[in-house]
Amino acid sequence: MASTENSEVLMSVQNLKVHFEIEHFQHQGIRDVFISAFTHPVEYLFKQPEYLYVIDNVSFDLRRGMRLGILGVNGSGKTTLCRCLAGMMRAQQGKIISSSEIRAIFDTGTGVLHELTGRENAFLLARMFFPEVKDLKPLVNEAIAFSELGHFIDVPFRQYSKGMQSRLLLSLISAKVTDILILDEVFDGADIFFQEKLANRMKAFIEKAGATIFISHSLDQIRKVCNQIAVMDRGKIIFNGDLEEGIKIYIEMEKRAF
Amino acid sequence: MAFKMFWVQVSDLTLASIKSRYRRTFAGFIWVILNPLLMFGVQSLVFKKFLKLQIPEYYLYLLGGLLPWIFISQTIQMGTPVFISQAHLLKSFKINPLVLIASQVLDNFINFLASFAIILLPFFLFSDREALNLIYMPLVLIPLLVATMGFTISLSLLNVFYRDINFIMGFVFSLLFFITPIFYPRGFVPSDWQWMVDWNPFTYLIEPFRTLLWDPTMGNFWIKYLNSLGIATLSCLFAGYTWHRRRNGFYRKL
Repeated sequence: MASTENSEVLMSVQNLKVHFEIEHFQHQGIRDVFISAFTHPVEYLFKQPEYLYVIDNVSFDLRRGMRLGILGVNGSGKTTLCRCLAGMMRAQQGKIISSSEIRAIFDTGTGVLHELTGRENAFLLARMFFPEVKDLKPLVNEAIAFSELGHFIDVPFRQYSKGMQSRLLLSLISAKVTDILILDEVFDGADIFFQEKLANRMKAFIEKAGATIFISHSLDQIRKVCNQIAVMDRGKIIFNGDLEEGIKIYIEMEKRAF
Repeated sequence: MAFKMFWVQVSDLTLASIKSRYRRTFAGFIWVILNPLLMFGVQSLVFKKFLKLQIPEYYLYLLGGLLPWIFISQTIQMGTPVFISQAHLLKSFKINPLVLIASQVLDNFINFLASFAIILLPFFLFSDREALNLIYMPLVLIPLLVATMGFTISLSLLNVFYRDINFIMGFVFSLLFFITPIFYPRGFVPSDWQWMVDWNPFTYLIEPFRTLLWDPTMGNFWIKYLNSLGIATLSCLFAGYTWHRRRNGFYRKL
């Protein structure tokens, strides 16, 4: 941790708050709206909205060289926080100050058009990841060669196993260095992280990135990747600092929860 | 720069999805034309031969309303469920959700242009209508495209929150077909019922297109054109408002 204390701030998160409106009537469709407006018209029109705070006053700096692991039980706001940092969601209050390029991955078993081949999907995925790159060919071809999918690369994507999908996506995403990398449970449940070749490439990719935010439920992986830990509980960051200390706090918190 | 990147993503995705659907076959291309061709065949038979509507150059008149209508209704109905069917992709990494919608709209627009060139253009060129009027065609297509995009964005967003919108749309469009002046002129509607077509946005989107192709006097063309621009603006404002309001809940509900 000491090594990143004074390094350049790549992203500064200040007093971030995100809330969602709690629905009083569980509306799955227009039909439900119609029925509740009809059966409880007064409540429907005049009930004040209530809010659920998913991110509650979160502040931290992400500095160059930091590999920040985020720990927290399910529903503590980890993914919502990462979606805000990635620019997918907007916080109602607070600021995220950053001029760095951010790449965020929340799932690796993803294709764009599943009826097309793996190769065609690789080009589409690359286009979505790297819209600024003019000629994708060298980049995609390198990733395809690395993925070692062999003749499977020209088979329709929908026939891929989960492991093959991940192999292709991770080969692609790691084909170009980025400033800030956000990996949300990307390696959970897949054995690929432990396949040496890909693991080494991902490790080098993470090290070359300016800073990384890493979410995982596997403490082993957290230990391998991270050099700092933030622990989240009900939308708040309750600890941000030393790796082993953070893991200890998380384990105790988990014990209390069960 | 941001727009250029958006456009590169949209055009790549559109080309790929055209490829996936038709696999570059001739039969696949015929299939695209078959739907509007059959609708035109049956409707011209029913309305001209059975019901004997007295409208000069009726084939041209009908095509001038039917082709934009097919474009609008098919795009909206195909675009509404897009976010739900691509939920996994949208949640996996940062991708502008509007890329998916814009690509769906563009895909349908290409089909529309194909059926325009193959089915409508021959009727137009063999009629005595002024061929030079076609130079206004690109102008007329802009509000049609933009408004359809706006409606599709709004409805596909709302469909994430209210999942039955997708099913309701099929029903709504089967009703709208009859209360939009597609196979009959606005003048046929009794004054007591004019409000029905007056309040229908699709009336204004179709009118300039048809006037350009069918009406030899080009009656009120520019006023109709301004109306369609107005509808396009409104639909974009509504799409922008919906996007702004629903943005956070979007990923939660997806």
